[in-house]
Amino acid sequence: MTTAVELRADASSTVSICSLRVGSGLFGIDTRQILEVLGTTTPQRVPLAPEYIAGVVSYRGEMLTAVSFRTLLGLERWTGTNCILVFDGEQNEERFGLIVDGISGVIALPRDAMEANPSGLDARSMELFDGVYKLPSGLLVHLDPRKLRPSRLAESGLFGRLNQERQGEPR
Amino acid sequence: MDRGQWPDKGEVEELTKEFIAESQEGLERMELCLTDLEKRPDDGELVAEIFRAVHTIKGTTGFLGFARLEKLAHAGEGLLGALRDGRLAVTTELISGLLQLMDGLRRILQTIETTGTEGERTTDNVDGLIELLLRLKTAEIVAMEDPTSQKRDVGHPYQLRINAEPTSQNLDAGQTALPIVAAEVSATNSSTHEKTLRIDVEVLNRMMNQVGELVLTRNRILRCSPGTEDFPELARRLDSVTAELRESVMQARMQPVGHLFNKFPRMMRDLAIQCGRQVRIAFEGQETGLDKSLLEAVRDPLTHAVRNAVDHGIESPEERLKAGKPAEGVVRLRAFHQSGSVVIEVIDDGAGISTKRVLAKAVERGLVTLEQAEAMTQREALQMIFVAGFSTAKKVTNVSGRGMGMDVVRSNVENVGGSVELESRVGLGTTVRMRVPLTLAIVPALVVQSGGQSFALPQSSLVELVYVPRHEAEQMLERMGATQLYRMREGLLPLVWLDQLLGLEPSAGVEGADFYIAVVESDGRRYGLVADDLKAPEEIVVKPLSAELREIGVFSGATVLGSGTLALILDVAATGARAGVRQVAEVLNLVSASQTQSETAQIEMESSMVIYESEKRGSTDGGGREQMAMPLSAVERIESVPVSEIEYAAGRAVLQYRGELIPLEDEDDILREKSAQEGSATVTVLICLRPEAQGARRVGMVVRRVLDVSPGTLLAADAAECKQQLAMVKNRVTTLHREFALESDATPVAVLGEVA
Repeated sequence: MTTAVELRADASSTVSICSLRVGSGLFGIDTRQILEVLGTTTPQRVPLAPEYIAGVVSYRGEMLTAVSFRTLLGLERWTGTNCILVFDGEQNEERFGLIVDGISGVIALPRDAMEANPSGLDARSMELFDGVYKLPSGLLVHLDPRKLRPSRLAESGLFGRLNQERQGEPR
Repeated sequence: MDRGQWPDKGEVEELTKEFIAESQEGLERMELCLTDLEKRPDDGELVAEIFRAVHTIKGTTGFLGFARLEKLAHAGEGLLGALRDGRLAVTTELISGLLQLMDGLRRILQTIETTGTEGERTTDNVDGLIELLLRLKTAEIVAMEDPTSQKRDVGHPYQLRINAEPTSQNLDAGQTALPIVAAEVSATNSSTHEKTLRIDVEVLNRMMNQVGELVLTRNRILRCSPGTEDFPELARRLDSVTAELRESVMQARMQPVGHLFNKFPRMMRDLAIQCGRQVRIAFEGQETGLDKSLLEAVRDPLTHAVRNAVDHGIESPEERLKAGKPAEGVVRLRAFHQSGSVVIEVIDDGAGISTKRVLAKAVERGLVTLEQAEAMTQREALQMIFVAGFSTAKKVTNVSGRGMGMDVVRSNVENVGGSVELESRVGLGTTVRMRVPLTLAIVPALVVQSGGQSFALPQSSLVELVYVPRHEAEQMLERMGATQLYRMREGLLPLVWLDQLLGLEPSAGVEGADFYIAVVESDGRRYGLVADDLKAPEEIVVKPLSAELREIGVFSGATVLGSGTLALILDVAATGARAGVRQVAEVLNLVSASQTQSETAQIEMESSMVIYESEKRGSTDGGGREQMAMPLSAVERIESVPVSEIEYAAGRAVLQYRGELIPLEDEDDILREKSAQEGSATVTVLICLRPEAQGARRVGMVVRRVLDVSPGTLLAADAAECKQQLAMVKNRVTTLHREFALESDATPVAVLGEVA
């Protein structure tokens, strides 16, 4: 992974995207923003935490808060293998992890090929997605880890409420 | 400002940082010397030390280009120079002026630290201060010729200036400008110290060595294939290297309590002048080490306690003389290690707390009824001071003489896993005793399971554990409204079901299964936490949670257990609050059973003890049995062990306990007696932690029968009569096990009523 980043970082016109699978969708994150990818790990659930926080995992002597991307998308809880992407904290933010179903690979895409979110998108998707690449095989939704920070998700209110609704429903 | 001339900004910043740290240290020394100087005005060494501190600041600051700081330091240096050369005499005014100089310097240093520049002249009154220093210098020379003119010349002009300041309180002109200064001291002190730490090079070298060892061990482990023969040896080595490294890091974080004490002479001086008291401060055990973060945590509570001691504890000189005491009161700060924690005491020889007045106020404020108040012991009454509602009203403070914000003191100390005790004898004085753990990073905890998840409970808040078998659950549990209660001995204990509170899926068949109640107490809340299972006690490494998870409030952190799984650490006080458990005083109102009152209220003042039965010491007929006790804090677990599991090594009974070989002590020869019986006999073993020279070691005490766990009062030991400590537990005289006796120290431990 790291070698891929280094090699491609030089080519300024292209951007290397780590493509992820979550549910049936394809998503991508700039590889330079990813600190590390952890293999299948079961996070320790934190009771009373917002639903989108899958729990905590131990990462290099720290307790890493892991966000479940599936829950953010409103999908069922996933029980199969998973991957945790670790993102570094910026400024005063803490590190956090994003749980996805799996990683497909790294692809190089032209930097200017990304399009903004289409205007008809629902509020939640607007909040989560950064833009979209049109690949021959389908769409790849580009994600910006900064938008997925637990602190930001809590602020947005969209997902905090989701959590409350969920808790109200009978399981 | 000529900072722009520097080509390398980073270098300047580095230098500035170093300069600030150095200057802070210099000022700290100066502070100590100044208060000493007042007592020993002829000590030239002290003056020289103060001079050096100011001189160093002046020298470096010129180099770094902080003009105003330099100017102030220069003025100070001039004054100190005159003092050093014997051209001035030490007077209260002079000391006050120098203290103000110190505060001025501190203020500018702090501005530099936070903003990078020394600030504008409008924010502080450096010019006024410089003027004062010059005036002091010249005026004192005049004063030597004409002592009467001194006061008028020196004091007033500057005081007027200070009074005009928006921050100043309304002082009458006769008073010195001290209160302003006092208010700023605490603000200045707190922020600067947390960022830097001085470490003994020796310790650092040792740490480096140990890290080297760790790397070597890791290399060997990485290279060894699974199933290698020397793997156990490597694991052992890793274990020992880790333990050593941990110890050195802890040592590096340890700071002498003296650092904390240093600021008190100054504070005491200001307070004494303000309150019109004569007070002397005395220290003991300044070298006692305490983790840096904890040192910061007890700073405020300690300040509060000292302030209370001077303000409310020590009487005015006239009253003291009338009471047959020396006019000068003494406040002693004492620190020492005691079984894995650090105890800091604030002892005053003042008027003590009149429980009658405390109770009268408590009744007046509706905290207790008159009948309840009358039934209270002195200890319980003192306990009222910690109740939140009690202390907020100002008039309460005036009448009771004490109690301003004691609830805050207690919650601050409990936040870091400590406890606060209060002892007082009318006419003789008051002792506030804070007990804090050595470190926060690693705490002993009990792991409990609920809803399939593990949670760690800090041992510091654990009172006792109760096992409730299925068939007993029905009759022991009561319901009052929405609250479930457990009949514990004579009292009722509110229960909190962990799985329900946290919204966990209840584990299979919770209705009919056996369960455990962990009786916990923190922040005045005492309740039973119901868990499905108890796991081993473990020393856990506390890791903070992210801000979003901290917000939940119930968890104070997370940890990795020995098994590799993660566990959340429960904040006992917050959990209780969330579940709606009331604080003790409120419980007093609700539950009328007098027994419950005494149990809930006493628990903090007294020590909980495990009571067991033993052969009568010294009696040869072997007939009698007596009640023995051991402090609950020393007992880790009570185990029922089949006799067949006990092995013998070199004639000594040993027990394999959780992967550890622990020696058994069998004073009453119970083992021989039991093993003579048929094979299935079991004995009761108290797994204890015995304090030893290096930490503590587990040992198993074989006892005949555990009777109960109960709070007990240590009796004032009459050393001549009996070498063993005695305690009053449930109105029976009980002997404390000699090896686990409670440290009674030199201070009077037992306070049995107001008779004294």
